[in-house]
Amino acid sequence: MDERPSATADLLSAVFWMFFGGAIVYGAWTMDRLEYMNINPYTVPGLVPGILGVCIAFMGALLLIRAVRAGAPKLGDIVAERPGRRVEIVRVLVAAGLCLVYAAGFVGHGLPFWLVTAGFVTAFIFVFQFPARRADDTLLRGLFVALLCGAATAAAVTLVFQEIFLVRLP
Amino acid sequence: MLEGLALFSRSIANMMDPLTLLYVGMATLLGLVIGALPGLTATMGVALLTTLTLKMSPDMAILVLICTYVGAIYGGSRSAILLNIPGTPANAAACLDGHALARQGLAGRAMGISTTGSVMGTLIGMVFLAMFTPLLGEMALKFGAYEFFWLAVFGVVVSGNLTGNDPLKGWLAGFAGLFIATIGQDAIHAYERFSFGNRDLAGGIQLIPALVGAFGFAEVLTVMKDAVGRPAIHSFDSVVPRLRDVLVYWRTIIRSGLIGTFMGIIPGVGEDVGSWSSYAAARAVSKERDKFGKGSVEGLLAAETGDNACVPGAIIPVLALAVPGSAPAAVLLAAMIIHGVQPGPLIMVQNPGFVYDVVAMMLFATIGILFYGIFLVRPLIKVLQVPRDIIMPIVFVLCTIGSFAIAQRLFDIWTMLAFGLIGFVMRQLNYPMAPFVLGIVLGDLLDKNLRRGLVLSDGDLTPFFTRPISAVMVAIIVFSIMMNFASARAALRSGLARFGAALGRRGI
Repeated sequence: MDERPSATADLLSAVFWMFFGGAIVYGAWTMDRLEYMNINPYTVPGLVPGILGVCIAFMGALLLIRAVRAGAPKLGDIVAERPGRRVEIVRVLVAAGLCLVYAAGFVGHGLPFWLVTAGFVTAFIFVFQFPARRADDTLLRGLFVALLCGAATAAAVTLVFQEIFLVRLP
Repeated sequence: MLEGLALFSRSIANMMDPLTLLYVGMATLLGLVIGALPGLTATMGVALLTTLTLKMSPDMAILVLICTYVGAIYGGSRSAILLNIPGTPANAAACLDGHALARQGLAGRAMGISTTGSVMGTLIGMVFLAMFTPLLGEMALKFGAYEFFWLAVFGVVVSGNLTGNDPLKGWLAGFAGLFIATIGQDAIHAYERFSFGNRDLAGGIQLIPALVGAFGFAEVLTVMKDAVGRPAIHSFDSVVPRLRDVLVYWRTIIRSGLIGTFMGIIPGVGEDVGSWSSYAAARAVSKERDKFGKGSVEGLLAAETGDNACVPGAIIPVLALAVPGSAPAAVLLAAMIIHGVQPGPLIMVQNPGFVYDVVAMMLFATIGILFYGIFLVRPLIKVLQVPRDIIMPIVFVLCTIGSFAIAQRLFDIWTMLAFGLIGFVMRQLNYPMAPFVLGIVLGDLLDKNLRRGLVLSDGDLTPFFTRPISAVMVAIIVFSIMMNFASARAALRSGLARFGAALGRRGI
């Protein structure tokens, strides 16, 4: 961790845990108790999740109290921005987006794995090196490096996993 | 004792063939590279290698995984020393003095100290692995439903307490993990819980895709978040470990080895706590404590001995209780089960030779890290020069394959993605991952044994608190929770002071 989260962030996560715990308790309470099977009442399937839900909601409440005592909610926590924060958010969203599109959108949906992998690695490297390459005026070289890495990764992964270790690829 | 030595000698003899030694060499080297690369943790390395070893014989597969585990924890010190970025969370303490030494032009010396500490730590832990596993296994044979229930609670509470810097968040993460383990068919009536009619979810959340997500994908996002990477130090002096370090700092080595092993045995605590605890203990009693954080040989030695001693330590509860001592040990446990080895209290009855096989594997891995630590430092450093923009997409491709390959279900890839995103958000909000993972591992144990215990006692809660082992566990759990409250700490301090004064009055 670079920095400790603010009291407001703790407050929001506390509210989430309280809702989450409550939802688990509700789900556990309304779960089938299998009375028609004449099971021992101490083995009902909802017992343990219900207890866990209560514990999670209780700890969420403790976190909420702690966050409020620490001054949450503070408008400053929401409005104040550390320099570079926006760049970090954009980088995370781009990385997560590329990974999700590759793994959830393309892998296992008909296209050959090596092709999808080569495309993903190329796109990832090119996108993240784009600002530096543009500043250095080496965009074409950057694209070539990205393509080379993409092709090499696809070939190596297919060879090692599929051909040598006989692992089925998606 | 003699029987153990005989089994250990037989294990060593069985492994002395060229193919096994080749696997030791390759797996340790791969572990070292994985550990050295920031973004690839030991957990991730062991999970990926589990995929690659699916078609191997169980003994060979577990040998490869153990060598990777030991190699990765050792390899993490490379980037800690040269980049000031721990290669694995276990090496965070090594950054303090390791990088300080490197900045003074002593990077080679720092790597030599790291090699000495890692080798000595693994050897100390290995001795305890051989000695304690049979004892703990024998004790675990006395465990019933009540004790196993408390063992699960103990793991999550203690792990939440010791990992991270906010116990409340650690416990929340641990209980969330316990809940996740209840998703899918329950183990007693095969009733589908929280599956919402989804057939894949009814099968439950598989451990390896969840771990690959929480430690692999989440790490990719964490590394890519920072816009600027850190420059590495490339020039360094001799990397050969010095015998003098062992002779001068033998007390530090033994103390750190013991602390590391003990931290490893505690469920879910892991190498990072082993390393920090050893470092803190060394600093507290050192004659040169002013040097700590500024390039102290003793500090680096303590940190590296502690984290590597934790590796065999974390395998002790895996073998004796089927409960992991750390996150990589959780993957190792899952891999053992995949390969048909059933760890747990009965292992010393059914397969005592296996425990000594693991000890022998640990010895081979130690020889491997010593070899690479002396002869292959400079070529390995080249790995650190590869930009993270190139490494991270490759890591993610490996995450995708690692999650898919074991059961060949696309659902496991989605599980990895979901846990990666959850893990990333949790890290940003300062929730530790170790109790979360341990919760997923221990959830089934807790669920089955609470209900079995209640059936055995006909709903009476007394046996949960009055059986001797249960009572000790409850006392430790309550103590570790209460020590987070200032009023409880103050009450304990004043109680101890009164007790001491009373003893003094009686002249004791």
